[in-house]
Amino acid sequence: MRHPAMKIFSMLFGVFYIAAFYFDLALFRYYPEARQFHWARTDGIGVVILWYGWIVTAALASAAVAVAVPRTVAERLSPRWVWIVTTLVVIVTLIYERRWFV
Amino acid sequence: MIVVLLLLHGLLAVALLGAITHQALSVLPLAPAQARRSFVGRFRSVNGPAYATPIVVLFVVTAIGGALLYPQYRVDVRPALEDMQNSAANGVFEIKEHLIAIGLGLLPAYWLLWQQPLEPGAAAAARRALTWLLALFVWWGFIVGHVLNNIRGMLP
Repeated sequence: MRHPAMKIFSMLFGVFYIAAFYFDLALFRYYPEARQFHWARTDGIGVVILWYGWIVTAALASAAVAVAVPRTVAERLSPRWVWIVTTLVVIVTLIYERRWFV
Repeated sequence: MIVVLLLLHGLLAVALLGAITHQALSVLPLAPAQARRSFVGRFRSVNGPAYATPIVVLFVVTAIGGALLYPQYRVDVRPALEDMQNSAANGVFEIKEHLIAIGLGLLPAYWLLWQQPLEPGAAAAARRALTWLLALFVWWGFIVGHVLNNIRGMLP
């Protein structure tokens, strides 16, 4: 398979995304009312959007691991792990987000 | 401007929904020859690999459109939902943003698996599963987006 690192990236992206969400690890924050990006929490300038930061955190972390894993290891990884890990991430996410419906 | 962007986002979502649904049904096991002449059979009988790149492009562009609309939602819509004590509406939107983000991460492997003919086995099963996961994410995002866009008219 060409570009086996893409399997690693896709397999880990959801894991890093949900970790970034749960542990508040957004790389940056956007304050839409002030129209400002900040690296750290900034009070007094309105509501905050963390979603962009979670995505970038997950993309950078999974890309770093995908690049670091040796090609032979990536080639041996069955593509089934991509959907299995992602399905587990989705299930964990849905369980956590039950908080909105109780 | 925001209305134009919302309409564009919705139209792109319709195109994405159609494409991913065609492709998701195309990866199901082949039906008997007679069934292939039915509406569902014809709906399924598309060239799945030809859909992969357009789906990736549509997914990314639609997600970018959603990301551009998100500040308006965060500032105007979400506080209104909180005032209405409608936490379920906020919850389904939270799930939508998670699924779309996770879907963005799946795109590289999904695209890669559609770039080569696959024998039945783990890779073909993975391609089918990733396609169905993406279809689930797109359907969830589409329905939630429409419901929230019209929620004031839907609730008493």
